[in-house]
Amino acid sequence: MNRPAIRAENLRKRYGDTVAVDDLSLRVEQGEVLGILGTNGAGKTTTVELIAGLRAPDGGRVTVMGLDPWRDRAAVRRILGVQLQESQLHDALTVAELVDLYRSFYPSPRPRDELLELVELAKQRDTRFSRLSGGQAQRLSIALALAGRPRVVILDELTTGLDPRARRRMWATVEQLTEETVVLVSHAMDEVERLCDRVALVRAGRVAALGTPAELVRRAGAADLDEAFLVLTGERLGEPDDEDEEAA
Amino acid sequence: MTAHTAATPVRSPARPGVRSWLLLAVCEAKMVIRDTAGLIVPFGLPLLILVMSASSASEAVVTGGRTALDIYVIPLVFTMVIGLIGIVNTPSFLSAYRRTGVLRRLGATPASPVMVLVAQVAVGVAQSLLGIAVAFGVAVAFFGARPPIDVPAALGALVLTVAVMFALGMVVAAVAPTPNSAVAMGLVAYLGLGALGGMFGGKESLPEGVARVGEWLPFGAAVDALSSAWAGEGVAGPHAAVLAATAVAAAVVAAVFFRWE
Repeated sequence: MNRPAIRAENLRKRYGDTVAVDDLSLRVEQGEVLGILGTNGAGKTTTVELIAGLRAPDGGRVTVMGLDPWRDRAAVRRILGVQLQESQLHDALTVAELVDLYRSFYPSPRPRDELLELVELAKQRDTRFSRLSGGQAQRLSIALALAGRPRVVILDELTTGLDPRARRRMWATVEQLTEETVVLVSHAMDEVERLCDRVALVRAGRVAALGTPAELVRRAGAADLDEAFLVLTGERLGEPDDEDEEAA
Repeated sequence: MTAHTAATPVRSPARPGVRSWLLLAVCEAKMVIRDTAGLIVPFGLPLLILVMSASSASEAVVTGGRTALDIYVIPLVFTMVIGLIGIVNTPSFLSAYRRTGVLRRLGATPASPVMVLVAQVAVGVAQSLLGIAVAFGVAVAFFGARPPIDVPAALGALVLTVAVMFALGMVVAAVAPTPNSAVAMGLVAYLGLGALGGMFGGKESLPEGVARVGEWLPFGAAVDALSSAWAGEGVAGPHAAVLAATAVAAAVVAAVFFRWE
């Protein structure tokens, strides 16, 4: 078997007294689409940031295609494309300008027109970022994540805040990523079920369960993935962790 | 060592090349140009001051055929342009980039956020030079302004002024937590230094002690250095030293405190 695209072993990260990622281990095979599913505050985004080398872990180890994203930062960034949650772009630049700028960062980028067609933004090429709709901005951020022909793509909360039609278009785009290894962070069951080969259920900074959607449903003796999530993590989706809220 | 074996890794640059740096600078320039409101203040305000004081100042010959316009007004206007762009405008852009996650997103590409910093400063400096050129052009064309007697000294003073103003701006960008606070801190620093350096009605109107202090602060020292160059007196060593030392100190402080997010 090939080496894994991503391997995380006993990853830990804390911010002050808050433990964001606590002994998280994960293996993502090349070419697969892995979903990371969890409530808000479960540590999904921190996990992504550790994989992308945007933060250094406090403990444990992570590799992307065998490289350490923190120490071999430059090498990892050439093979990794990310779409980050809540990250904006230069708002006065147009779609085409942004795509060209991001393409210029990589040694052998995808052609601009190919990228724009892939995410259906050819018509908006001269539209400034600040004037794009939420769905268009998200699609642009996918195009930028794919600009450098990455081997591994991380998509963080891809469809959060989009209307049902825009969500389906995003899914269609992700379904075209057949060459790449994709890590899809989400808290939407239907999305993960439709797009992912395997799903990691994350709770309190750990992987609570990992398997294909069907396996997880079977293991939990549940009717669907939604119920399996509840059984396997003891949590309800779409709500933040309330544990430390107003305890007194 | 054989040059071409199967194990030789594909030779491609680890970091984006010159073309990418230039493209980023062009993008930053577009950001500045498309922020029309942001252009009015650094170009318009100094021009206004120039026009308001030029006609009277252009009559009064001070020394060596240079008028008060050449020796006092032009150095002041130049310092104002560079200070506004360096201390107020550039940090507000960087701070907004940090707040909105632009720097974070770039940090996930092979482009280091340092590229953004360099591109921003390059664009800011270009903008300053353009502002100066416009102001000087207007002064020459309409008010008979004359070039400095000591041109090399003037260029040296200009370089030091740019260095000190942009280094101070980087301190603002480094410590300001939000874009609004960056503008506030930049304006306070700029107006404070400017007031002590004679921006409002000249040093003569300041109390003796205050004027003394202001002369050794970046704004006052920059105006004095440019003024001396225009009058052909060379740049006073202590002024140049103050500017250079402040620029270096500010750059170090900015580098220590800068955060990408």
